[in-house]
Amino acid sequence: MKRDRLAQLRSFWSEFRQVRFGMVGVALLVVFLALVIFERPLLTYRDVNSRWRDMMYWTDSPRYALPVWVNWFTSKDYATSAVIQAQNVQEAEGVRRTTMEFPYEFKAGRPPSDVLLQLALTGQVSLTLDIVRPDGRSVTYQKNTSSSGSQVLRISVDQNLRERVFQMVASAEDPAVAASRNPKQINSVGVLFGKAQPGVFSDPQVLDGTYVLKLDVTLVGATAKLDSAKVIVAGGVSGILGTDAQKRDLWSGLVAGTKWALIIGLLTSIISVVVGVIYGVASGYFGGWIDSLMNRIYEVFVSIPLLPILIVLSAVFKPSIWIMITMMCIFFWVGPVKTVRSIALQLKENAYIEAAQGLGASHRRILFKHMIPQLVPYAFASMALAVPGAITYEASISLIGLGDATVVTWGQILFDAYSSGAVLQGIWWWIVPPGLAIALMGMTFAFIGFAMDTILNPKLRTR
Amino acid sequence: MSEPILVAENLTKWFPVKRSLTQVVRHERTWVRAVDGVSFSVEKGEIFGLVGESGCGKTTTGKLVMKLLDITDGTLKLQGEDVTHIKGAALAQHRRHVQMIFQDPYASMNPRFTIEEVLMEPLEIHNVGKDRAERDVWVREILEEVKLSPPDEFLVRHPHMLSGGQRQRAATARTLMLNPSLIVADEPVSMIDLSTRAEILSMMKQLQREMGLTYIYITHDLSTARYFTDRLAVMYLGKIIEMGPAGTIIDKALHPYTMALIGAVCEPVSGKVNQIKDVPIKGEIPAATNIPTGCRFHPRCLYSVAECWQEEEPTLDDIGGGHRVACRRYKEIERLGNAARTSEASLGLRRTA
Repeated sequence: MKRDRLAQLRSFWSEFRQVRFGMVGVALLVVFLALVIFERPLLTYRDVNSRWRDMMYWTDSPRYALPVWVNWFTSKDYATSAVIQAQNVQEAEGVRRTTMEFPYEFKAGRPPSDVLLQLALTGQVSLTLDIVRPDGRSVTYQKNTSSSGSQVLRISVDQNLRERVFQMVASAEDPAVAASRNPKQINSVGVLFGKAQPGVFSDPQVLDGTYVLKLDVTLVGATAKLDSAKVIVAGGVSGILGTDAQKRDLWSGLVAGTKWALIIGLLTSIISVVVGVIYGVASGYFGGWIDSLMNRIYEVFVSIPLLPILIVLSAVFKPSIWIMITMMCIFFWVGPVKTVRSIALQLKENAYIEAAQGLGASHRRILFKHMIPQLVPYAFASMALAVPGAITYEASISLIGLGDATVVTWGQILFDAYSSGAVLQGIWWWIVPPGLAIALMGMTFAFIGFAMDTILNPKLRTR
Repeated sequence: MSEPILVAENLTKWFPVKRSLTQVVRHERTWVRAVDGVSFSVEKGEIFGLVGESGCGKTTTGKLVMKLLDITDGTLKLQGEDVTHIKGAALAQHRRHVQMIFQDPYASMNPRFTIEEVLMEPLEIHNVGKDRAERDVWVREILEEVKLSPPDEFLVRHPHMLSGGQRQRAATARTLMLNPSLIVADEPVSMIDLSTRAEILSMMKQLQREMGLTYIYITHDLSTARYFTDRLAVMYLGKIIEMGPAGTIIDKALHPYTMALIGAVCEPVSGKVNQIKDVPIKGEIPAATNIPTGCRFHPRCLYSVAECWQEEEPTLDDIGGGHRVACRRYKEIERLGNAARTSEASLGLRRTA
């Protein structure tokens, strides 16, 4: 019996392979499953699952960075994001003074969006930052700071060095133009990485070469110490899919969301369609008062709005993805019922149903062997349709703040993009990938469903 | 041919007609009297035919015997046991003993099943055979029996991949899987090409001889009924109006309705082709909701007189040789018929002269 089933499965597979779009569906499914299985090595930010909403986790990333592959299609390259560690660290024991250098090899068509120096300090510290450009011009920034505990100090070119950068290249610009410029309103990073020539403020031309950030830290207090230091170049491009308004790496979010999309979509659609199909078939097959009763129950479920219930539930329980899936199953099973019931009403009039009854077949056998197999193609089609439905429903639940804050989902990414006005700002890399992912996920199941349809419904076969 | 395998007494099936609101308020009910008191018995090893025009209740009778419909009134006995109101396990057992061949062999098989699955189904339902290997052997044997060979070629096919005749052979094979004591064949050849009809019927007859089967053969086709059956019952509006040995019924029909049915059979024989038949019947079959009083055939009968509708409905009386007829005036009609035949014969003679 077992070998038999295996042989059946094998013959089914050999038939399935003939259907081309079915194989496309299987290929897509394999890709999604691979994304889930190899999630760890694929993630560029390992802790994305637990820290997606943690602002601190993303501080080092650029905001609204394009995907890196955009550089392949542009003549003026965007600077890539980078973290530079200190080199030439020299500590003079006696005076408690540390110097270090951060060389930045700049070679791109466009300047980065910002350059940041990030220091972790304790106690009273005096520091000097020198940025030396390839052409010899430099900017100097000095700061004395003190705190009782440890603190994180961030020095940003765009925020802290605007006026100094202006001073640095002002001599190269036409004095009249320079005078008319407000130092606080220049594109500081563009100017820092621009050639010192007339027009540097209005249309800076990039200056390639090695930029060196020299840091000189003097520890004043007895307890003072420098815990760590690094320079972050926030490029115009970052990661495979860029970043969003909260500087989050979208590729990591998308990969982490794949498993939730599969879980939400598959669990909800499979459970609700299976329940709905069995319910609808039974209702149509038995007829009479059973049918009437089942119809009334169905109507009760159809008329209850899910959203208020979810709001109440989230007030009672902690919002959880599992409660959400359960609730969606409880209310989504009604989807296929009416259609299935009408198909069942038609199917049960077939002579072979009567023939099976005549052979002594039980109701269960007639339902599960004769009627439900006919509905498999329909069931798969409605499952395929329910998958994106469940994913977007999850997204809209997140929209009213009832989403599970402990997970990352495609719907949440899409909702964040929508609410941040990504559409109006043209941040396409924030909208297209999650949208495409949801569409592809739906397509995967639609293709597999249609392929199964042609195999499981022998009459459709062209032979 | 002595012990009756099936005895039906006063078998009745009335279907309720959906009522209008006023009818519900007035507690009125109308019924479609599909089968209205039918009595017959089928002997072991016999082929019993039920003939009649469409809507006369012959298929409903078949389904009552199958217990596919609930019996409104009367009793049904299979091998001496009352099966009128059985349920559950007893009903399952009944369905193991009584099998049905349906009119449309294509519709009666699940299009998704292969022939193997179709034939396996009765065995699976009744859990017959110790393992798949044994069942496999049986399936092949039966396929050989109904002349679908080589079996391997047919086992993997779906019903739509067979010809009409092959399908009906497969459907017959399915009914044989459980070795039933009675097979109800509901117009088994009416949807099959004329050329293969005789083949199927002779196969069924051969099986009957070899395996000692008993058939109830339901048809509207008198010519195959004559060929196939041992005894015939003619039904009209839910009642048997004439019953007896097949040859007697066809050759010496006494009821005017039977005569009309026989008269309506086309004969593609030279000399009779252009003859417009004068079928001795008038009007249309009345609705089964409103059965005429007295003899139910009187509105259409050419020989009906006042007593036919004023008095009680005639009973199905034995007139010798197992020939039963439900007509008050069959003797007079017989005389009239003989006279007519004689005059026709003399007319024919004169014409040739």
